[in-house]
Amino acid sequence: MMKLFIGITFSLIMLLFTGCRTDYDISEVAPQDFLDSESHADHDHAPGEACTHEEVLLDEHVEDPHAGHDHAPGEPCNNEESIGEHVEDSHAGHNHAAGTRNHGTQWFFNQPWAAPFIWGKLFRDGAIFLTLGIVIFIITGRRRRK
Amino acid sequence: MSEKPPIQVSNLSKHFARKRSIGSIQAVSNISFDVNQGEIVGFIGHNGAGKTTSIKCILGLLKPSEGKVSLWGGQPADAEVRKRIGYIPENPDYDDSFSPMEYLTMFASMRDLSGVESDWMNLLARVGLTKWETTGIRQFSKGMRQRLSLAIALQSTPDLLILDEPTGGLDPIARKEFREIILEENKRGASIFLSSHILSDVETICSKAIILSGGKLITEGSMKELLGELHLYRIVSISRKTGQEVEEILPEPDLQTRIDSLRKDNVSIIKIELALKSLEDVFMAATGGDHK
Amino acid sequence: MKAVFIFALMTLRMLFRRRTLWGILLVILLALGAISSVPNFDVSNQGRFILDFGLFGIEIGALLLALGLAANLYPRDRETRTLMPLIAVPLSRWQYLLGRFFGAALVQAAALLVTCLGLMLILLFHGLSIPNDLLPATLLIIVEGWFLLSTVFFFSFFTSPPLNWPLTTMLFVLSQMSVAEFVNVLPSAPGLMRAVRMILPHADVFHIKDPIAHGFEIEPVYFLIAIFYGLCYSIFMLSLALAVFRGRDLK
Repeated sequence: MMKLFIGITFSLIMLLFTGCRTDYDISEVAPQDFLDSESHADHDHAPGEACTHEEVLLDEHVEDPHAGHDHAPGEPCNNEESIGEHVEDSHAGHNHAAGTRNHGTQWFFNQPWAAPFIWGKLFRDGAIFLTLGIVIFIITGRRRRK
Repeated sequence: MSEKPPIQVSNLSKHFARKRSIGSIQAVSNISFDVNQGEIVGFIGHNGAGKTTSIKCILGLLKPSEGKVSLWGGQPADAEVRKRIGYIPENPDYDDSFSPMEYLTMFASMRDLSGVESDWMNLLARVGLTKWETTGIRQFSKGMRQRLSLAIALQSTPDLLILDEPTGGLDPIARKEFREIILEENKRGASIFLSSHILSDVETICSKAIILSGGKLITEGSMKELLGELHLYRIVSISRKTGQEVEEILPEPDLQTRIDSLRKDNVSIIKIELALKSLEDVFMAATGGDHK
Repeated sequence: MKAVFIFALMTLRMLFRRRTLWGILLVILLALGAISSVPNFDVSNQGRFILDFGLFGIEIGALLLALGLAANLYPRDRETRTLMPLIAVPLSRWQYLLGRFFGAALVQAAALLVTCLGLMLILLFHGLSIPNDLLPATLLIIVEGWFLLSTVFFFSFFTSPPLNWPLTTMLFVLSQMSVAEFVNVLPSAPGLMRAVRMILPHADVFHIKDPIAHGFEIEPVYFLIAIFYGLCYSIFMLSLALAVFRGRDLK
């Protein structure tokens, strides 16, 4: 019985360890498309190139709505809305709508609520902790009765 | 098949690790005894003799270092076993934001007892807490807390009462009432295990006593055996020279030697009689009269 | 389980009669009131500010409540010897632990719901709308509070209350860190730091104040998963606490 307990506990901890090491931290394990959607903080458009990304800055972080985002003079930047109380220069078209993603906001989106790809792993971690808890409860109870 | 004894203790030892030093403190050392159905057993010893440690091992509050404890053949941790026990801890205390009635009601629910409020009122009256039913425990004296703990212990009409220094904080009248309740419970069929260093209480109500000293079991037996085991004699003598009368109490083995020496010293022996003994005499003789 | 339920009610009554609960609740409500009276914000930003700091305040309130309610429960029971008659006869150790935990958890949840209500009233007072996710976010903070409560119980079985406060607070802070941040605390031993982080909880799971303040919709399934994770971790911590408690001699 004790061997079984040690085996189960060891396996669960190893599983947790693997999970933690390889696939929990969002900044380490996010898929490319997740990273792409917020990797534009420093990108440059070539002159004449249209900006087609959905890029809107979270307004309290916006010092300069053009940060890292150089358009050729007079070039429109599509699909960008501004709600910018802070955005004085409206030529960029950064109309910030609540609930949309902006430049320089990795910190904001590297949180579990925004990263559905880790939800399954979160569920798995929960299940592992639950199993560990039950195993500890049963084994310590048996030891006490002895 | 007859049921196993309410308490069976075999080769029980308990030691505690010393804080900040190597080694351990031996609180109880290799003790064995039984408490049989219907007995009132006194568990006596000086302070630090190991009485409370043994009781806590019996109740499963402490894990024995060695040996075994069984209650009706089962483990102290068994729910069915615990249902049959009433316990008064040494210096009991309760959350003082509650009243005795609240306590009894909650304990009854926790233990799945079938009593109603009037039963608990009667119980509180029995232990002398009439008119205090709904008063906050914070206003209670030590003696009243003892009475409440007796009420809680009796609530489930237990088959075994384990009482750890139950009369410690009580006045003589309350102690008498307490003894009467214990005797009533025993009459009902409950076995009683009473730890105390008030030897007169033990002598009055117990049918058997176990004497502990320095964590070791010194002697045990029925009260008759213990009081009759060591015959004491009173010798009254008068000196022929001075006319001075002297009274001495001696154990039987020393009697003949003393008679010879008195005769040698030209002392007349007026009277030799069997002296009445108390449990205190037995306790002092058994433990050597000092704290080991 | 009936004994656990009755003992939880007993704990609940006892905690409601102590001043600690009301003191902490008052402090949280006063802090929320103070947040709402910070001047120089336009309407939109003020709403975000109130929500962001208000939810943060409730989260800190959960920590304070966990510590204030539970850090002293077991040590006090031992010190006043109220533990002995309970553990010796009507309750087993797991029933004692669960009863105390459920009682404190109910009180904590009620107090946090009151603070959520306070936050809603503040938003309404300023003519702001109440986000749909505010209540679910509070539920998530309640689950985080239960996790903290189980941590407090765990520490209370082998430390004194003055040590319990810094230890639980430290765990609260460490559990907010990502794996990368945690490894940076001691970069010379990344393997060890990852191994330690493995056991620590991921409390960032409970953080949704930022998206709520900025008007992001959160998928309902996330709430379910986060609550499941929080409850499972709380059960794990409670079982560790019980393992320590079961091994202890009640001298």
